[in-house]
Amino acid sequence: MKKILVVEDDMPIRNLYKEELIDEGYVVVTAPDGVAGYEMFKEQKPDLITIDIKMPNMNGLELLDKIRKEDKEIPIIIYSAYGEFTQNFSTWAADEYLVKSSDLTEFKKRVSELLQK
Amino acid sequence: MSSDEQIKNYQDILRQYSILNQIAKTVSSTLDLNKILRIILTGVTFGDGFGFNRAFLFLTDRQAKHLVGRMAIGPATLEEAWQIWADIQQKSVPLEELLMSEKFEAQYASSKLYEEVRKIRIDIDPEKILFMCLQDGIPRNVDLTQNVSVSEDNPVVSDICLFEQNLLDYLDYPKFCIIPLISRTRKVGVMIVDNKYNHRQIKSEDINFLLMLSQFAASSIRNTIIYNDLKDSLNALAKLNLKHKYLKEYNEKILESIPVSIIVLDHNMTVTMCNENSAGIMGTDKAQICGKKISAGMIYIDSVDLAEEVSSILANKRVQGFYKVNIKFQSHKSNSVFDVILVPFKFSEETPEGVLIIIEDVTKTVKLEQSLNEAKRLSELGKLSATIAHEIRNPLIAIGGYANRIKKKYMEKQEINPENIEIIINEVARLEKIVNDTLEFATAGKTQFKDFNICGLLLDCINLTGISAEQSNISIDIKSGSELIKNGYIFIQGSYDRLKQAFINVFNNAIEASETREVVSIEIFPETENENNFLVIKVNNKAKLAKEVDVNNIFIPFYTTKSKGTGLGLTITKKIIEQHKGTIDVSSDAETGTTFTIKLPVLQSTQVQQPALT
Repeated sequence: MKKILVVEDDMPIRNLYKEELIDEGYVVVTAPDGVAGYEMFKEQKPDLITIDIKMPNMNGLELLDKIRKEDKEIPIIIYSAYGEFTQNFSTWAADEYLVKSSDLTEFKKRVSELLQK
Repeated sequence: MSSDEQIKNYQDILRQYSILNQIAKTVSSTLDLNKILRIILTGVTFGDGFGFNRAFLFLTDRQAKHLVGRMAIGPATLEEAWQIWADIQQKSVPLEELLMSEKFEAQYASSKLYEEVRKIRIDIDPEKILFMCLQDGIPRNVDLTQNVSVSEDNPVVSDICLFEQNLLDYLDYPKFCIIPLISRTRKVGVMIVDNKYNHRQIKSEDINFLLMLSQFAASSIRNTIIYNDLKDSLNALAKLNLKHKYLKEYNEKILESIPVSIIVLDHNMTVTMCNENSAGIMGTDKAQICGKKISAGMIYIDSVDLAEEVSSILANKRVQGFYKVNIKFQSHKSNSVFDVILVPFKFSEETPEGVLIIIEDVTKTVKLEQSLNEAKRLSELGKLSATIAHEIRNPLIAIGGYANRIKKKYMEKQEINPENIEIIINEVARLEKIVNDTLEFATAGKTQFKDFNICGLLLDCINLTGISAEQSNISIDIKSGSELIKNGYIFIQGSYDRLKQAFINVFNNAIEASETREVVSIEIFPETENENNFLVIKVNNKAKLAKEVDVNNIFIPFYTTKSKGTGLGLTITKKIIEQHKGTIDVSSDAETGTTFTIKLPVLQSTQVQQPALT
């Protein structure tokens, strides 16, 4: 079973992603900010990471940068509530950039694709 | 004496009288001091008259401490003397004609003797002969040559010690006569005559005539000096008058030109001065106010009676300012808004203190301020809308996401997790709060202010928040001001509801930032600064703010350090405090934790009622 790390500060959304991904048959671990997210990445060795951009302590872009310095291969999906980050080259280090939505179909499709590569 | 000699003697006397007469006639025709002096000296040296070779005039200065060389007439050298005598012999011009001629006017300015005499200045020394002459009014015949026989018939001064050296150096001839010029008691000066070139001896008859001339000359000189002094004073006075008039007009022009109203009241509250502007404010003209007494009930600044305020200023000698007020004069109420400043005013040491009133129309400024505030509010609202759009996104995503999930579970006839429904309900509540806070923020500023006791309000707020603190097992400790808020009266002008909201926000914020069993401490105390009264409320909790930036950002909309909350609470609080012209600051460090300091201006000094004795 593939293990996915969800890094998201907003509790209801973190929970939503977790439950949806469990339903898809993954093992899910979560972290509420960038600092905890990095620890989980080291500790849990996930197969894929999803990261929210706007977070306290260490934001998603910082976390992305930090993980990519150590691991060039691991699939990462970065997302935010706003579309403006598509223009931000810092997000290009991720495999996917998504805008948050209540419809998780697209999100789940990308997760599955990235894990099959 | 032979009859021939006697006849010559009489002729001489007659001639001298005639000269005296001519001098008197010409002198009386002018008031020019220089001309008078020249006429006198010319008369003395004129060949047909006294016929002295040289004549000098020294006048006393204003303090009568010095004799100053003023005029000298005579040839500088023997050759010049011969030349002059030859001229006179040929032309034989009568004295009167000579005195009136233009040549006479020009003759003296270039004379060396004249130039030199102007440089002589003699201290009047009681030990010297010049002083004695002026003192007793008696002429002195002087002969400083060695072989002089002094007798009663020939009373000649021969002691060189009685003379100032600079005078002797200048005269450069040992025989001369000093004639004092005295008019009544005033010592005008001295005239000195000699016969340097023909060495003719000065006789007692000569001296008698000179004495006659001297009395006339002295009074003429004195009168002329007085006349000229008077003329100078009159001129100066006229100039001063002109300057005074100019200054007065200048000041009035300034007062009328400046767009500020000025009224000066004396100690009797009578208007001693005002400008048109000030009359305009009261809907009347200058004449209606100037010179009138301001009585009670005549002029109101908002609800303050000007007459009462002025008496209080006269009594306490303080400056009083009223800002953004209306002015009512009798029944006329101006539509404008004014700043008024009353200043104790003393015109001079002799006059009792009055009051200077400066009134400035600030209607435009106030309107500008209002529109600026409105613009600021709209701009904040604009920024707010953008932030809100972002802020409501997360709850919307959560609600939509869970709704989809529940629908899916329902369709698949699977069990629905009640926590998912709970989250939807909570997120909807969060959205509602954002909407409420936003409305609160957007409508702030449209509140009616009234006077109320802030002590009671603080007590209410602390009691209210105490309940939620207890639930979280956090205690509230009122370190100071507990008695004040229970029994005190401090009045503030403002909105009770809004301030209540502001304080509850601050208190709740401290409670929410605290851990179980921690203490939130509150200090309340009055403070006076520049004669203005304030009430200070300090709220402290033990937790330090997460980052340095938090101190600067904590009042920015949607900035939050808490997991729950909209990030608008402290923004609204700051806005409310500022509406009440107060300040709110935050400080944070590891040792003391986080402290919010609110400083609110209050209407009057603290009054604590003594608790009833039971």
